[in-house]
Amino acid sequence: MKECYLGIDIGSISTKGVIIDDDNKIIAKEYIWTEGNPVNAVRKLIKILKQNLPKKCIIKGIGTTGSARKLIGLMLKANIVKNEITAHAVGTLTYYPNVRTILEIGGQDSKIILIKNGIITNYAMNTLCAAGTGSFLSSQAKRLGLQPEEFGKYALKSKNPVKIAARCTVFAESDLVHKAQVGYPKEDIIAGLCKSVVLNYLNNVGKGKKIEAPIIFQGGVSKNEGVVKYFKEVLNEDIIVDENSHLMGAIGIAVLARKNKIGKTYSLELEDITFDTKAIECNRCSNNCELLKIYRNNELVDSWGSKCGKF
Amino acid sequence: MDKIGIPRSIFYYYYGDIWKNFFDYLKIPYIISPNTNKEIMDMGLKYSNDEMCLALKTYIGHCAYLKDKCDYLLIPRIDNYGLENQTCTNFLSAYDIINNIFDVKILNYNINLDNNETLKKGLIKIGINLSKTKHESKKAYKYAINKYKEKRSREITINTNKLNGTKTKILLVSHPYNTYDDLIGKEIIKYLEKENIEIIFSDKFDEKITNKLSEKLSKDLYFKYSKDNIGSIIYSKDKIDGIIFLSAFPCGPDSLVNELVMRKINIPYINLVLDDTSSFTGTETRLESFIDMLKGGFND
Repeated sequence: MKECYLGIDIGSISTKGVIIDDDNKIIAKEYIWTEGNPVNAVRKLIKILKQNLPKKCIIKGIGTTGSARKLIGLMLKANIVKNEITAHAVGTLTYYPNVRTILEIGGQDSKIILIKNGIITNYAMNTLCAAGTGSFLSSQAKRLGLQPEEFGKYALKSKNPVKIAARCTVFAESDLVHKAQVGYPKEDIIAGLCKSVVLNYLNNVGKGKKIEAPIIFQGGVSKNEGVVKYFKEVLNEDIIVDENSHLMGAIGIAVLARKNKIGKTYSLELEDITFDTKAIECNRCSNNCELLKIYRNNELVDSWGSKCGKF
Repeated sequence: MDKIGIPRSIFYYYYGDIWKNFFDYLKIPYIISPNTNKEIMDMGLKYSNDEMCLALKTYIGHCAYLKDKCDYLLIPRIDNYGLENQTCTNFLSAYDIINNIFDVKILNYNINLDNNETLKKGLIKIGINLSKTKHESKKAYKYAINKYKEKRSREITINTNKLNGTKTKILLVSHPYNTYDDLIGKEIIKYLEKENIEIIFSDKFDEKITNKLSEKLSKDLYFKYSKDNIGSIIYSKDKIDGIIFLSAFPCGPDSLVNELVMRKINIPYINLVLDDTSSFTGTETRLESFIDMLKGGFND
C-alpha cells in the first residue's frame, strides 16, 4: 500500500486538487471551476481524482486551503486547514528552495511573498479592492466574447498595447469599452488589459517591496501568457512559471497534510454523505448576526458568524 | 435635571473618561450610548454621506441612537493642538454635521490651542452653561483631569511593559475609536488574543514622547494623532515582531501616513482597511497568515 495525501485549494473562481506521495510526487491532479458552489465543486473534483488514483494508494491525510477552506475542511474532516498564503509558500519552497519572490494572482486575491534563505521575510496582500485579479480578467474576457484561457494568446499577438487605466478596474473597464468603441484592434486592447493588471499589481501589492530574482509567478492568472510577458518586461527579470503554478496552493496544503498526519485513513466516498448549510438571521440582540449552520449527514457540526460567540 | 448624551465613538475614546469624571463631580446626569451594534451602524449608514469614513458613520449612528434619549448631545469641535498638531476634518466638522442632520440641542466647546482655546476653558464653559458656578466647574475640571491622568499613566505603564514580554508582540497601529469599537477592531483583538499574541496599542504611549519621535520618520506631518501613532513605532521598533496597520475606509490621514511609514520601516507589517461591508473572513486570512509568518509557521 502506498500512502498518499490530498490537498484541495477551493478558490473563489476555481477549485484545485492534488494527491501527492511521501516524496512530494504528484499522483493525480485536477483543476475545475468553482461556479459559486464549493461543495459541489469538491464532490466533482474528488470523483475525478478518484478515477485517476492507482488502486494501491490510500489517503492518509487531507488538507484544505483557499477561501472555502473551513467549510470544505469540515465536510472532508481534514486534518489541516490553513490559509492560502502559508500553503502557497510551502508548496513553492518544496520545489524551488532558492526562490526569493513569489508573485501570486488568484481569482479575488493578489499577494506577494518575499523569501530569504527559505524563510518568509515579508508579504503583502491586496486590501479591500480586488482590482486586477482573475475575476476581473475573466469578466472582461466574457465582455470581449473570449474564453479566459485564450486571453493570453491574443495578448501575445499585439505589438502596440493600448494604455488602460491601471489604478481601478471600474476606470479600466470604462477605458476598455471606450477603446473598443473607438475601433482599436482586439489584441491590442487585450494586451493593454494584461499590462494594466501587471502595473496595478506592482503599484498596489508590490509597492515599496524589493523584488529580487529568482521570481516565481503563480495562481490562476500565471497561466495567462500576456500577463507573464509584461511582468518580464516591467521587472526586467526572468519570471518562472511552473507547469503546476496554478496548483501550488493545493500542493502546499497536501505537503502540510503529510507533515501533520494523525495516522487516520480517509475515504474518498462522498456519495452517501449529505452536506448542507442553512443561513439564518439571529434576532436575540441588536447585532442581528447572520449565522451559518453546517450539517453533515443531518447533524449540526458547526455554526459560524456570531459576534457574541454563543453559537 | 437636563441629561447629557455622550456618543460612544470618536471623541469618547479620547475624552470619555474626563467627561465622566467631570459630570460625576458636578452631579450632572448623563447617558452613554452602548457599544456599536448593527442597529447603530445601520442608523449611521442611513444618515451619513457615502464619502464619510467608517468611524464618522458610526459616530452619526451613535448620535441618532441618543437624540431622543437625552436633552443635549455633547460634541466638541477640535481644531488643533497647536499649528504643528492639527486634527482630521471629522474632529473639526462633527458638531456642524450633527447640527445639520438632527434637530437636537448640542453642548459644544472648542479646542484650538493656536487660538488659546483649551480643554479647561471648554469644560468650564460647559459647566457654566449647565448652571453651575465658575468655581464649581473649575474644581470639577481639576478633579476630572487628575483622575484621568492617573488612569492614563497606569494604562501607559501596562502597555509599554508589554514590550519586555516574551510572547510574540504585535504593535496595533490604529486610532482608538477604531481599535476599541465593537464592529471595527474588537474581532481583530479577539482573534489575536486567541492566538496568544501580545498586542501593544499605539494609542497607549506617552504622546509627549511619541509626538516628538515621529520626526524621525517625517518632519512635515501635521496630523496630531498620526504623529502620535508613528512615534509609537519608533519607540517600540526594536522590541516588536510585527505591525498591524488598521484603518477605517476611506481615512485620509491614515492612507497618507501609513503608506509613508510602510515604505520606510523594516519590520513585517500588514495593512487592514475595514469598511462596513467587510466580512471577517478576508481579515482572518490576512491575520492568520501574518501570525504564521511571525511565528515561523511557514517553515515547518
